[in-house]
Amino acid sequence: MGKVIKLALMGTAVALLAWGCSKEKPETDPQPQTAPEAPADSTLNLDALVADTLSADSLARLEAERLEAERARLEELINRIMLEDVYFDYDRSELTENAKRLLAQVAEILVNETRFIVTVEGHTDARGTEDYNISLGARRSTVVREFLIAYGVDANRLVSVSYGKERPKVQGTDETAYSKNRRAHFRVSIDQ
Amino acid sequence: MNKIKLLFVLVAMALAVPAFAAIDTIAVDVGISVFQTMPIGVVPFEENGNIKWTNEAPHLILTRDANLTGRFEAVNSDKFDLVLFSKKRARQYVTGNATKLSNGKIKLDCYLYASETKDVLLGESYTVKPYDVRQAVHSFFDKVVYRLFGERGVASTKLAYVSKIDGVKQVVISDYDGFSRRQITRDSSINMMPVWQKGNKGLVYVNFRKQRPNLYAITFGGKETPLFTQFKQTFSPAVNPKTGELLFSVTEGAKTELYRGDMKTGSAQKFLHLKSNQVSPSWSPFASEVLFTSDRGGSPQVYAVGKDGTDVRRITYMGHYNERASWSPEGDRIVYTSMDDGKMNIYTCALDGTDIIQLTSNAGNNEHPTWSPDGKLIAFASDRGGNYQIYIMRKDGSGVTRITNGSENTSPTWSWFFDEKKFK
Repeated sequence: MGKVIKLALMGTAVALLAWGCSKEKPETDPQPQTAPEAPADSTLNLDALVADTLSADSLARLEAERLEAERARLEELINRIMLEDVYFDYDRSELTENAKRLLAQVAEILVNETRFIVTVEGHTDARGTEDYNISLGARRSTVVREFLIAYGVDANRLVSVSYGKERPKVQGTDETAYSKNRRAHFRVSIDQ
Repeated sequence: MNKIKLLFVLVAMALAVPAFAAIDTIAVDVGISVFQTMPIGVVPFEENGNIKWTNEAPHLILTRDANLTGRFEAVNSDKFDLVLFSKKRARQYVTGNATKLSNGKIKLDCYLYASETKDVLLGESYTVKPYDVRQAVHSFFDKVVYRLFGERGVASTKLAYVSKIDGVKQVVISDYDGFSRRQITRDSSINMMPVWQKGNKGLVYVNFRKQRPNLYAITFGGKETPLFTQFKQTFSPAVNPKTGELLFSVTEGAKTELYRGDMKTGSAQKFLHLKSNQVSPSWSPFASEVLFTSDRGGSPQVYAVGKDGTDVRRITYMGHYNERASWSPEGDRIVYTSMDDGKMNIYTCALDGTDIIQLTSNAGNNEHPTWSPDGKLIAFASDRGGNYQIYIMRKDGSGVTRITNGSENTSPTWSWFFDEKKFK
């Protein structure tokens, strides 16, 4: 596409130059009335060329625009999924009503966007041992994964892992921090 | 709990006092220590030549070893002082000569004397580079322990633990007293749960570079091998003290179970067939039994099972969160972490779960206990000082000493005994 435009532009430049050269002799005479007549052809050609390239160009821009919009839409969806953590009660891995509502929304997106591959990370708060918390995080991520599968998301697109207490979202040793860290978090990648 | 403690102390004192009074003193720190310590004189070395010690002079290393290993109480004196040593009942003392050699090395002649007769009970000579003075002195101290107690000392042992370096959890090792620290892992994800391979040949640890917990073996030269790659998520390693075989947790779906595997061949079999989750395995000293944590009662509790996976029995009943049990090298007690009201504390109990003693209290969180290979000491991590650091205490909870500082240090694991180091 770019090459075509370039060639077209070069063509017009050559035409203009040729026209300029031919016009070199009567330089002293401005001849304002006759001037538009002589280059009428080349101006016409130029207009035609410009019209052609513009339409090709705008097609490309429209395509880019569409892709950009699609990308932005996916990005927004991914962000929405990744921002929405599923929270759990202390030392529990059952889904709360809130969690189920949120997961239904996530599942809805995933059912429609079949290219999304999702890693469900299970996390715990800082209380307890590293070892036990990895097993607790695994239970949480699996519960979330199974909910999504039950909703109709392809199991092959869902991976569950546990981080235990190793990656807290919020630092702190009070219930506010703990409650934000007892979560399942989504990581999304797009299957190319 | 306090009643149990008090009872234990009273019984122990009643038993211990008549037996030892004639020989040694019995230290009863803040009413809970039943550890008997032996006073030992420590006199600075005579120095020949202008010696610059890398970090501490030999008598300071010996003083720290004496107090930290839990067996002694150092009686320091600038020179031999029979009056002081007699008054403090230090029947032996340690000292020596240090000579700077022309090749830059230091010759250390270390002696253990009987205070009254000045008989040499033990003499050792080491010619070492300045940096190795510490290790040579530790080595001598272990010989002193052997000479006086007939048991192996822990001054030459090491700890592996997790240290936050530039915000990343890395595995490091150091001498048991926190000195001579060395970073072992370099990966920028998460490195954790280090344990020592049999014969201290290297470590096994957990790394998250694949965005999931996986076991790796690493040598002290930094050579790494992924372990048991047939499983997606592996953690909680425990090394069999007899065979070097590993017990570890495998997570598949919601289920976490124990497997036993051979590090060399990579083959692994399910260890237990239980409906519940299982983490934190620990072998008994002779590898005939295994402790582990299971949530089969609805909350994490400690269980024991035979090495063939049969005869599961519950050990802990008190409280709702008992985890990370490990078997004393002496074989008679179990140390574990218990969480009460969101705070972690360290307890020991007898093998049947009775005779519970709380070792830490009212001092932040205290967790991840690990026995010294002689069973006299317990290293653990505590945030009592603001951030997490490694501490050592005697097995009765007395003599708590911090051995690390700086940014967060957690999850200590004590090495096995080292073969005697040869100094050239």
